Amino acid sequence: MSFSNVKIVKNLSNFKVAFIKTGIFVGLAAYWGVILVGTFITFG
Amino acid sequence: MDVFLPIAQVFVNPIEILLLSAIVGVLSGLFGVGGGFLMTPFLIFLGVPPAYAVANEANNILATSVSGSTTHYLKNTLDYKMGLMIVIGGVVGTALGIYIFTYFKGIGKIDTVISLAYMYILAIIGTLMLVESLGEIDKKKRNLIVKKKLHVHYWIHGLPLRMRFPKSKLYESVFTPIIIGLIVGFIAAIMGIGGAFILVPAMIYIIKMPTKLVPGTSLFVTIFVSVIVTFLHSFNFGSIDLMLVVMLVTGSIIGVQVGQKLGEKIDSSGLKALLAILLLIVGIAIAYETFFTDKPEQKIIQVLTSDLNFFSLFILEFSEDMPFFYGLFSIMFAIILGIGAALIRRIFSNFKKKMLLKKS
Repeated sequence: MSFSNVKIVKNLSNFKVAFIKTGIFVGLAAYWGVILVGTFITFG
Repeated sequence: MDVFLPIAQVFVNPIEILLLSAIVGVLSGLFGVGGGFLMTPFLIFLGVPPAYAVANEANNILATSVSGSTTHYLKNTLDYKMGLMIVIGGVVGTALGIYIFTYFKGIGKIDTVISLAYMYILAIIGTLMLVESLGEIDKKKRNLIVKKKLHVHYWIHGLPLRMRFPKSKLYESVFTPIIIGLIVGFIAAIMGIGGAFILVPAMIYIIKMPTKLVPGTSLFVTIFVSVIVTFLHSFNFGSIDLMLVVMLVTGSIIGVQVGQKLGEKIDSSGLKALLAILLLIVGIAIAYETFFTDKPEQKIIQVLTSDLNFFSLFILEFSEDMPFFYGLFSIMFAIILGIGAALIRRIFSNFKKKMLLKKS
Protein backbone atom coordinates (compact mmCIF):
# COMPACT_ATOMS: atom_id res chain seq x y z
CA MET A 1 0.00 0.00 0.00
CA SER A 2 2.72 2.49 1.04
CA PHE A 3 4.75 1.47 -2.02
CA SER A 4 1.91 2.52 -4.37
CA ASN A 5 1.51 5.82 -2.47
CA VAL A 6 5.18 6.66 -3.02
CA LYS A 7 4.73 5.87 -6.70
CA ILE A 8 1.70 8.20 -6.95
CA VAL A 9 3.55 11.05 -5.18
CA LYS A 10 6.54 10.57 -7.48
CA ASN A 11 4.30 10.59 -10.55
CA LEU A 12 2.52 13.71 -9.29
CA SER A 13 5.81 15.59 -8.77
CA ASN A 14 6.98 14.50 -12.24
CA PHE A 15 3.69 15.74 -13.67
CA LYS A 16 4.14 19.10 -11.86
CA VAL A 17 7.66 19.57 -13.28
CA ALA A 18 6.47 18.67 -16.79
CA PHE A 19 3.54 21.07 -16.41
CA ILE A 20 5.83 23.98 -15.34
CA LYS A 21 8.28 23.24 -18.16
CA THR A 22 5.47 23.15 -20.73
CA GLY A 23 4.08 26.41 -19.31
CA ILE A 24 7.44 28.15 -19.64
CA PHE A 25 7.91 26.80 -23.16
CA VAL A 26 4.41 27.93 -24.23
CA GLY A 27 5.00 31.36 -22.62
CA LEU A 28 8.30 31.85 -24.44
CA ALA A 29 6.79 30.67 -27.74
CA ALA A 30 3.89 33.15 -27.33
CA TYR A 31 6.36 35.91 -26.46
CA TRP A 32 8.46 35.29 -29.57
CA GLY A 33 5.27 34.96 -31.64
CA VAL A 34 4.08 38.41 -30.53
CA ILE A 35 7.36 40.19 -31.36
CA LEU A 36 7.90 38.39 -34.67
CA VAL A 37 4.31 38.92 -35.88
CA GLY A 38 4.43 42.54 -34.64
CA THR A 39 7.64 43.16 -36.61
CA PHE A 40 6.16 41.67 -39.79
CA ILE A 41 2.93 43.70 -39.43
CA THR A 42 4.85 46.94 -38.74
CA PHE A 43 7.08 46.52 -41.76
CA GLY A 44 4.37 45.00 -43.94
CA MET B 1 9.38 68.34 -8.96
CA ASP B 2 10.40 68.00 -12.61
CA VAL B 3 13.72 69.15 -14.05
CA PHE B 4 14.15 70.41 -17.61
CA LEU B 5 16.92 68.70 -19.59
CA PRO B 6 18.38 71.48 -21.76
CA ILE B 7 19.80 69.22 -24.50
CA ALA B 8 17.13 66.48 -24.66
CA GLN B 9 14.44 69.21 -24.33
CA VAL B 10 12.18 67.20 -22.01
CA PHE B 11 11.08 67.41 -18.39
CA VAL B 12 12.05 64.47 -16.15
CA ASN B 13 11.65 63.61 -12.48
CA PRO B 14 15.20 63.46 -10.99
CA ILE B 15 14.12 61.20 -8.10
CA GLU B 16 12.70 58.64 -10.54
CA ILE B 17 15.92 58.65 -12.58
CA LEU B 18 18.14 58.42 -9.49
CA LEU B 19 16.09 55.54 -8.07
CA LEU B 20 15.93 53.61 -11.33
CA SER B 21 19.65 54.00 -12.05
CA ALA B 22 20.44 52.91 -8.47
CA ILE B 23 18.21 49.80 -8.85
CA VAL B 24 19.80 48.95 -12.21
CA GLY B 25 23.22 49.56 -10.57
CA VAL B 26 22.39 47.06 -7.80
CA LEU B 27 21.38 44.49 -10.45
CA SER B 28 24.62 45.13 -12.37
CA GLY B 29 26.71 44.69 -9.25
CA LEU B 30 24.80 41.56 -8.27
CA PHE B 31 24.81 39.77 -11.64
CA GLY B 32 27.97 41.26 -13.21
CA VAL B 33 26.12 42.73 -16.17
CA GLY B 34 26.49 46.29 -17.42
CA GLY B 35 22.86 47.29 -16.97
CA GLY B 36 22.74 49.45 -20.11
CA PHE B 37 20.21 47.14 -21.74
CA LEU B 38 17.82 47.85 -18.85
CA MET B 39 18.52 51.55 -18.18
CA THR B 40 18.16 52.75 -21.79
CA PRO B 41 14.63 51.29 -22.15
CA PHE B 42 13.73 52.75 -18.72
CA LEU B 43 14.88 56.20 -19.90
CA ILE B 44 12.75 55.80 -23.03
CA PHE B 45 9.73 54.91 -20.86
CA LEU B 46 10.39 58.04 -18.76
CA GLY B 47 10.02 60.16 -21.88
CA VAL B 48 13.65 60.70 -22.94
CA PRO B 49 13.84 60.40 -26.77
CA PRO B 50 15.62 57.10 -27.75
CA ALA B 51 18.51 58.84 -29.57
CA TYR B 52 19.28 60.84 -26.37
CA ALA B 53 18.75 57.85 -24.07
CA VAL B 54 21.36 55.84 -26.01
CA ALA B 55 24.01 58.59 -25.96
CA ASN B 56 23.62 59.50 -22.27
CA GLU B 57 23.55 55.88 -21.11
CA ALA B 58 26.83 55.32 -22.99
CA ASN B 59 28.35 58.18 -20.94
CA ASN B 60 26.97 56.62 -17.74
CA ILE B 61 28.46 53.22 -18.68
CA LEU B 62 31.82 54.95 -19.11
CA ALA B 63 31.76 56.11 -15.48
CA THR B 64 30.73 52.72 -14.07
CA SER B 65 33.24 50.79 -16.23
CA VAL B 66 36.07 53.16 -15.19
CA SER B 67 35.08 52.59 -11.57
CA GLY B 68 34.99 48.79 -11.95
CA SER B 69 38.16 48.67 -14.06
CA THR B 70 40.13 50.71 -11.51
CA THR B 71 39.11 48.20 -8.82
CA HIS B 72 40.38 45.33 -11.02
CA TYR B 73 43.58 47.27 -11.83
CA LEU B 74 44.27 47.59 -8.10
CA LYS B 75 43.68 43.82 -7.74
CA ASN B 76 45.89 43.06 -10.83
CA THR B 77 43.14 41.07 -12.57
CA LEU B 78 43.38 42.66 -16.04
CA ASP B 79 44.89 41.41 -19.35
CA TYR B 80 45.83 44.65 -21.17
CA LYS B 81 47.23 42.94 -24.28
CA MET B 82 44.06 40.94 -24.92
CA GLY B 83 41.96 44.00 -24.00
CA LEU B 84 43.77 46.19 -26.55
CA MET B 85 43.22 43.61 -29.32
CA ILE B 86 39.47 43.63 -28.59
CA VAL B 87 39.56 47.46 -28.51
CA ILE B 88 41.04 47.55 -32.06
CA GLY B 89 38.00 45.62 -33.33
CA GLY B 90 35.77 47.72 -31.08
CA VAL B 91 36.95 50.99 -32.66
CA VAL B 92 36.09 49.75 -36.17
CA GLY B 93 32.74 48.33 -35.00
CA THR B 94 31.82 51.57 -33.21
CA ALA B 95 32.61 53.68 -36.29
CA LEU B 96 30.46 51.32 -38.39
CA GLY B 97 27.65 51.49 -35.82
CA ILE B 98 27.70 55.31 -35.75
CA TYR B 99 27.55 55.31 -39.58
CA ILE B 100 24.42 53.11 -39.52
CA PHE B 101 22.97 55.25 -36.68
CA THR B 102 23.52 58.41 -38.77
CA TYR B 103 21.84 56.77 -41.80
CA PHE B 104 18.69 55.81 -39.87
CA LYS B 105 18.61 59.19 -38.10
CA GLY B 106 18.79 60.83 -41.52
CA ILE B 107 15.72 58.96 -42.81
CA GLY B 108 13.87 59.52 -39.50
CA LYS B 109 13.67 55.84 -38.50
CA ILE B 110 16.22 55.76 -35.68
CA ASP B 111 13.63 55.54 -32.86
CA THR B 112 11.98 52.47 -34.43
CA VAL B 113 15.37 50.83 -35.06
CA ILE B 114 16.46 51.35 -31.43
CA SER B 115 13.14 50.02 -30.08
CA LEU B 116 13.30 46.93 -32.32
CA ALA B 117 16.95 46.28 -31.48
CA TYR B 118 16.14 46.43 -27.75
CA MET B 119 13.09 44.23 -28.11
CA TYR B 120 15.06 41.46 -29.83
CA ILE B 121 18.18 41.71 -27.69
CA LEU B 122 16.10 41.58 -24.47
CA ALA B 123 14.10 38.65 -25.84
CA ILE B 124 17.29 36.74 -26.75
CA ILE B 125 19.12 37.41 -23.44
CA GLY B 126 15.95 36.83 -21.39
CA THR B 127 15.22 33.50 -23.10
CA LEU B 128 18.82 32.23 -22.81
CA MET B 129 19.11 33.37 -19.18
CA LEU B 130 15.76 31.80 -18.22
CA VAL B 131 16.59 28.46 -19.86
CA GLU B 132 20.10 28.45 -18.28
CA SER B 133 18.91 29.34 -14.78
CA LEU B 134 16.06 26.80 -14.86
CA GLY B 135 18.57 24.17 -15.96
CA GLU B 136 20.87 25.14 -13.05
CA ILE B 137 18.00 24.89 -10.56
CA ASP B 138 17.00 21.49 -12.03
CA LYS B 139 20.60 20.22 -11.77
CA LYS B 140 20.90 21.44 -8.17
CA LYS B 141 17.69 19.59 -7.24
CA ARG B 142 18.86 16.35 -8.84
CA ASN B 143 22.48 16.79 -7.65
CA LEU B 144 23.71 16.26 -11.22
CA ILE B 145 27.33 16.94 -12.14
CA VAL B 146 27.81 17.51 -15.87
CA LYS B 147 31.26 16.83 -17.23
CA LYS B 148 32.31 19.44 -19.79
CA LYS B 149 34.89 19.00 -22.52
CA LEU B 150 38.13 20.83 -21.73
CA HIS B 151 38.80 22.06 -25.27
CA VAL B 152 36.16 22.65 -27.93
CA HIS B 153 37.58 24.09 -31.15
CA TYR B 154 35.52 26.30 -33.46
CA TRP B 155 36.45 27.68 -36.89
CA ILE B 156 37.53 30.92 -35.18
CA HIS B 157 40.48 29.07 -33.56
CA GLY B 158 41.91 28.16 -36.96
CA LEU B 159 42.51 31.79 -37.97
CA PRO B 160 46.07 32.90 -38.86
CA LEU B 161 48.42 35.44 -37.16
CA ARG B 162 48.71 33.73 -33.79
CA MET B 163 50.11 35.66 -30.85
CA ARG B 164 51.06 34.93 -27.24
CA PHE B 165 49.04 36.45 -24.41
CA PRO B 166 51.25 35.74 -21.36
CA LYS B 167 48.85 37.00 -18.71
CA SER B 168 46.01 34.75 -19.95
CA LYS B 169 48.52 31.99 -20.86
CA LEU B 170 47.06 31.74 -24.37
CA TYR B 171 48.40 31.34 -27.92
CA GLU B 172 45.60 32.74 -30.05
CA SER B 173 44.99 34.35 -33.46
CA VAL B 174 44.73 38.16 -33.21
CA PHE B 175 41.59 37.98 -35.36
CA THR B 176 39.59 36.21 -32.63
CA PRO B 177 39.54 39.18 -30.18
CA ILE B 178 39.31 41.68 -33.08
CA ILE B 179 36.15 40.04 -34.52
CA ILE B 180 34.54 39.91 -31.06
CA GLY B 181 35.43 43.59 -30.49
CA LEU B 182 33.92 44.51 -33.86
CA ILE B 183 30.54 42.98 -32.96
CA VAL B 184 30.55 44.55 -29.47
CA GLY B 185 31.49 48.03 -30.80
CA PHE B 186 28.75 47.92 -33.45
CA ILE B 187 26.03 46.99 -30.95
CA ALA B 188 27.32 49.54 -28.39
CA ALA B 189 27.12 52.40 -30.90
CA ILE B 190 23.54 51.66 -31.94
CA MET B 191 22.11 50.70 -28.55
CA GLY B 192 24.15 52.63 -26.00
CA ILE B 193 25.20 49.55 -24.03
CA GLY B 194 28.58 48.31 -22.85
CA GLY B 195 28.20 44.91 -24.52
CA ALA B 196 29.42 42.89 -21.51
CA PHE B 197 26.66 40.34 -22.10
CA ILE B 198 28.38 39.39 -25.40
CA LEU B 199 31.96 40.07 -24.33
CA VAL B 200 31.97 38.00 -21.11
CA PRO B 201 30.66 34.70 -22.61
CA ALA B 202 32.84 35.24 -25.72
CA MET B 203 35.96 35.70 -23.53
CA ILE B 204 35.19 32.57 -21.51
CA TYR B 205 33.94 30.17 -24.19
CA ILE B 206 35.58 31.40 -27.42
CA ILE B 207 38.86 33.05 -26.36
CA LYS B 208 39.05 30.74 -23.30
CA MET B 209 40.53 33.33 -20.93
CA PRO B 210 40.93 32.48 -17.22
CA THR B 211 37.66 33.44 -15.51
CA LYS B 212 39.36 35.70 -12.92
CA LEU B 213 40.72 37.98 -15.71
CA VAL B 214 37.39 38.23 -17.59
CA PRO B 215 35.41 40.92 -15.66
CA GLY B 216 38.38 43.35 -15.44
CA THR B 217 39.34 42.94 -19.11
CA SER B 218 35.70 43.28 -20.19
CA LEU B 219 35.37 46.54 -18.22
CA PHE B 220 38.69 47.76 -19.68
CA VAL B 221 37.33 47.23 -23.23
CA THR B 222 34.03 48.88 -22.31
CA ILE B 223 35.91 52.06 -21.28
CA PHE B 224 37.32 52.52 -24.80
CA VAL B 225 34.11 51.58 -26.60
CA SER B 226 31.97 53.90 -24.46
CA VAL B 227 34.51 56.76 -24.81
CA ILE B 228 34.23 56.53 -28.60
CA VAL B 229 30.43 56.17 -28.53
CA THR B 230 30.07 59.13 -26.13
CA PHE B 231 32.41 61.35 -28.13
CA LEU B 232 30.88 60.54 -31.53
CA HIS B 233 27.32 61.00 -30.26
CA SER B 234 28.29 64.28 -28.61
CA PHE B 235 30.21 65.62 -31.60
CA ASN B 236 27.88 64.40 -34.38
CA PHE B 237 24.47 64.87 -32.79
CA GLY B 238 25.09 67.05 -29.69
CA SER B 239 22.97 64.60 -27.70
CA ILE B 240 24.91 64.35 -24.40
CA ASP B 241 22.98 66.08 -21.63
CA LEU B 242 25.25 66.59 -18.61
CA MET B 243 22.25 67.21 -16.37
CA LEU B 244 20.95 63.69 -17.16
CA VAL B 245 24.44 62.18 -16.96
CA VAL B 246 24.97 63.54 -13.40
CA MET B 247 21.73 61.87 -12.22
CA LEU B 248 22.50 58.58 -13.99
CA VAL B 249 26.12 58.35 -12.80
CA THR B 250 25.29 59.23 -9.18
CA GLY B 251 22.54 56.59 -8.96
CA SER B 252 24.39 53.82 -10.75
CA ILE B 253 27.75 54.21 -8.98
CA ILE B 254 26.06 53.95 -5.57
CA GLY B 255 23.90 51.05 -6.80
CA VAL B 256 26.85 49.08 -8.23
CA GLN B 257 28.76 49.28 -4.92
CA VAL B 258 25.66 48.06 -3.01
CA GLY B 259 25.09 45.28 -5.58
CA GLN B 260 28.71 44.06 -5.39
CA LYS B 261 28.51 43.91 -1.58
CA LEU B 262 25.18 42.03 -1.77
CA GLY B 263 26.68 39.62 -4.33
CA GLU B 264 29.40 38.65 -1.83
CA LYS B 265 26.75 37.73 0.73
CA ILE B 266 23.94 36.01 -1.20
CA ASP B 267 23.76 33.25 -3.82
CA SER B 268 22.48 34.96 -6.96
CA SER B 269 21.86 31.85 -9.13
CA GLY B 270 18.25 31.57 -8.00
CA LEU B 271 17.69 35.28 -8.66
CA LYS B 272 18.94 34.87 -12.24
CA ALA B 273 15.54 33.50 -13.33
CA LEU B 274 13.89 36.60 -11.84
CA LEU B 275 16.25 38.90 -13.78
CA ALA B 276 15.47 36.93 -16.95
CA ILE B 277 11.72 37.42 -16.37
CA LEU B 278 12.32 41.15 -15.75
CA LEU B 279 14.18 41.41 -19.08
CA LEU B 280 11.35 39.63 -20.89
CA ILE B 281 8.78 41.96 -19.28
CA VAL B 282 10.76 45.05 -20.39
CA GLY B 283 11.04 43.51 -23.88
CA ILE B 284 7.28 42.92 -24.12
CA ALA B 285 6.60 46.46 -22.82
CA ILE B 286 8.75 47.88 -25.65
CA ALA B 287 6.95 45.59 -28.13
CA TYR B 288 3.58 46.85 -26.86
CA GLU B 289 4.67 50.50 -27.20
CA THR B 290 6.15 49.93 -30.65
CA PHE B 291 3.37 47.83 -32.18
CA PHE B 292 0.12 48.54 -30.40
CA THR B 293 0.05 52.12 -29.13
CA ASP B 294 -0.76 55.07 -31.34
CA LYS B 295 2.10 57.46 -31.29
CA PRO B 296 0.80 60.84 -30.06
CA GLU B 297 2.18 63.83 -31.86
CA GLN B 298 5.20 64.96 -29.96
CA LYS B 299 4.60 68.08 -27.94
CA ILE B 300 6.99 70.83 -28.81
CA ILE B 301 8.27 72.21 -25.55
CA GLN B 302 9.39 75.74 -25.81
CA VAL B 303 11.39 76.94 -22.88
CA LEU B 304 12.86 80.39 -23.21
CA THR B 305 16.59 80.65 -22.65
CA SER B 306 15.90 83.30 -20.03
CA ASP B 307 13.85 80.72 -18.04
CA LEU B 308 16.79 78.32 -17.75
CA ASN B 309 18.87 78.21 -14.58
CA PHE B 310 22.63 78.90 -14.63
CA PHE B 311 23.63 75.23 -14.89
CA SER B 312 21.23 74.45 -17.77
CA LEU B 313 22.25 77.59 -19.64
CA PHE B 314 25.94 76.71 -19.20
CA ILE B 315 25.36 73.18 -20.59
CA LEU B 316 23.34 74.48 -23.55
CA GLU B 317 25.86 77.17 -24.54
CA PHE B 318 28.89 74.95 -23.94
CA SER B 319 27.47 72.16 -26.16
CA GLU B 320 26.48 74.57 -28.94
CA ASP B 321 29.61 76.76 -28.94
CA MET B 322 32.29 74.13 -28.35
CA PRO B 323 30.95 70.63 -29.23
CA PHE B 324 34.45 69.10 -29.35
CA PHE B 325 35.43 70.31 -25.87
CA TYR B 326 31.94 69.53 -24.54
CA GLY B 327 32.42 65.90 -25.67
CA LEU B 328 35.86 65.79 -24.02
CA PHE B 329 34.47 67.38 -20.86
CA SER B 330 31.66 64.81 -20.55
CA ILE B 331 34.19 61.98 -21.00
CA MET B 332 36.61 63.43 -18.41
CA PHE B 333 33.72 64.05 -16.03
CA ALA B 334 32.64 60.39 -16.19
CA ILE B 335 36.24 59.13 -15.83
CA ILE B 336 36.97 61.29 -12.77
CA LEU B 337 33.71 60.24 -11.08
CA GLY B 338 34.44 56.57 -11.85
CA ILE B 339 38.01 56.65 -10.47
CA GLY B 340 36.83 58.66 -7.45
CA ALA B 341 34.17 56.04 -6.61
CA ALA B 342 36.70 53.17 -6.92
CA LEU B 343 39.23 54.96 -4.69
CA ILE B 344 36.60 55.76 -2.06
CA ARG B 345 35.60 52.07 -2.05
CA ARG B 346 39.26 51.05 -1.64
CA ILE B 347 39.77 53.48 1.27
CA PHE B 348 36.62 52.16 2.96
CA SER B 349 37.61 48.50 2.57
CA ASN B 350 41.17 49.21 3.86
CA PHE B 351 39.70 51.07 6.82
CA LYS B 352 37.36 48.15 7.53
CA LYS B 353 40.26 45.67 7.36
CA LYS B 354 42.31 47.80 9.80
CA MET B 355 39.39 47.98 12.22
CA LEU B 356 38.92 44.18 12.06
CA LEU B 357 42.65 43.65 12.70
CA LYS B 358 42.56 46.01 15.66
CA LYS B 359 39.58 44.15 17.13
CA SER B 360 41.27 40.77 16.77
